Amino acid sequence: MTPRPRILPGPWLLRTSRPDLATHRATHGELPTMTLARLQEVIGTGQVRGRGGAGFPFATKLGAVAGRRGRRHVVINFSEGEPVSHKDLALALNAPHLVLDGACISAQALDVRTIQLVLPRERHDLRDAIELALAERRRHDPRSRVRWDLHLAAPRFVSGEASAVTELIAGRTPLPVTSWEPTAMSGVRGRPTLLSNAETFAHVAALVLPGGDGYAALGTPEEPGTTLLTLVHGPEDIEVVEVPHGSPWEDVLTAEQACEPLLLGGYHGTWVPAGGLRGQLVSRAALASQGLALGAGVVMPLPRDTCPLELTAQLLRYLAAQSAGRCGPCLNGLPALAHAFEQAVAGLPGSDLDELTSHLVGRGACAHPDGTVRLVRSALLAFPEEAQSHSHGNCLTSGRVRESVR
Amino acid sequence: MTDGPPQRLQVDWPRCRARGLCHELLPEAIGIDPWGYPVVEQALPADMVRAAREAVRVCPLSALHLRDS
Repeated sequence: MTPRPRILPGPWLLRTSRPDLATHRATHGELPTMTLARLQEVIGTGQVRGRGGAGFPFATKLGAVAGRRGRRHVVINFSEGEPVSHKDLALALNAPHLVLDGACISAQALDVRTIQLVLPRERHDLRDAIELALAERRRHDPRSRVRWDLHLAAPRFVSGEASAVTELIAGRTPLPVTSWEPTAMSGVRGRPTLLSNAETFAHVAALVLPGGDGYAALGTPEEPGTTLLTLVHGPEDIEVVEVPHGSPWEDVLTAEQACEPLLLGGYHGTWVPAGGLRGQLVSRAALASQGLALGAGVVMPLPRDTCPLELTAQLLRYLAAQSAGRCGPCLNGLPALAHAFEQAVAGLPGSDLDELTSHLVGRGACAHPDGTVRLVRSALLAFPEEAQSHSHGNCLTSGRVRESVR
Repeated sequence: MTDGPPQRLQVDWPRCRARGLCHELLPEAIGIDPWGYPVVEQALPADMVRAAREAVRVCPLSALHLRDS
C-alpha cells in the first residue's frame, strides 16, 4: 500500500482539513447557477490550466466541448498515473466537495446530467472519501438531477491517460488507443468529453464559488491562484502543499533541498540541476522558459548519497515495464532505452541514446514514450559531469570505479 | 493529381504489427525503425499522395491512415 501523505494547510483549496459538506459550504459558500457564457468568462479570467500534467487551458477545452452538438460527457480524473503524485488523493481526503462542485458547474453549463468519476482502484482511502462525499450530497439534496457514475482504473502508469480513461468508461479494455481528435471533440464513445484532472476541477470551483475573488488575488496577474505540489522527501515521507503561483521555491523547499538536484513533474518530468530553482518562482511560464515543466506537480529532491543517473536508470526500468505493450516503438524502444541507459551508467558500450530517443518521440497512442524520453534527455542535460564520469567508469556520488567488462 | 489540403501519413500504433508493406511500397516517404515499424514524420509531397493512398489500402491491419495535415 502506498503511504498516506501529510497534507499541509494551504491558502485556498486546502484551507480546511475537514472534508464534510457543511464545512465546505461554510468555507466556500453555495454553488451558484451559471450559463456557459458566464462560466467561460469567469474561467477565462482565472486562466485555469489543466493539472494532470499537460497544462492545457481549461477554458479552451470547455469551449471545444460546448462547440459540438449531441450528447456530451464530463469526466473527473482522479487516476494519478505518476506513482509519487498524491495531490488528487489530498483533495479527495480534505476537499472532495471542491472537486465535485467544479465538475457540477461545468456539467450544468454543458447540459450534462451524469458526471463520470475515474478513481484509482488500489487507493481505498480515496474511494472511501469520494463515496462518503457523494452520499453526503445525495442526503443533502435528494432531488438533485446530477448523477454520479464511478469507474475504477487499474494501478498502472498509463491508466490515467485520456484515451485509456475514455475506453474504461466505454466498457472496453482500459488502455490507450489512437485518438485522431482531441478528447474534447471525440472522447467517450466518440462523444464530446470534458475530461479533466481532479485538481483542475477544484480550481474551477475556487473561481466560481462566492469569495473566489480572494482566490484569484492569490498568485500573479498572469497566473492567478494556486497550485498543489507533492513534495517527495523520501519514499515514506510525502507532503502535499498548496502554494500561490509566483511564490519563491525557497518557500517550498528546505535550504538544503534548494541546493540539491531535483526531479520536477514526476517520472515523466525533468531533472533540475543542483541549485537550479534557487531564486526562481513557482510559475509554469518561468519554468517553461528554462525548459522545465511542473507537470503533475511532483517535486522530488534527489535523495542523499544517490547518483542521479543511477536513479534515472531505475526509473527507466520501471517506465519500460509500465508500457501497455500495444505500440511497437514503445514496446520495443523503452526496454532498449532502459538497457542503453544502464550500459551508459555502467560505462559500457551500448546503443546511442540520442538515436534511440529519436525513435520514440510522437510514436505511440499515448505520451508514455514521450514522457520517458523527456526524463532521459533532461538527465543528460542536467548532469553532464556525472555522465562524463560514468562514461569512464567512475561515479561521482559513490566514488566507485566500475569494472570495465569486455 | 488532386489538389486539396496538404496530406500526411499517420500510423494507428496499437494496430501496426510491423509487416513492412508500406515501407516496401513507398520507401521515399515511409522509413523504417530498428524494430521494423514505419517512420512517417514529414508532411507528404503532393506527388506522393497517390502512392500513399495505395500504401494505406494494402496495409493488412488497416493501421496506416492518410489525413489532412
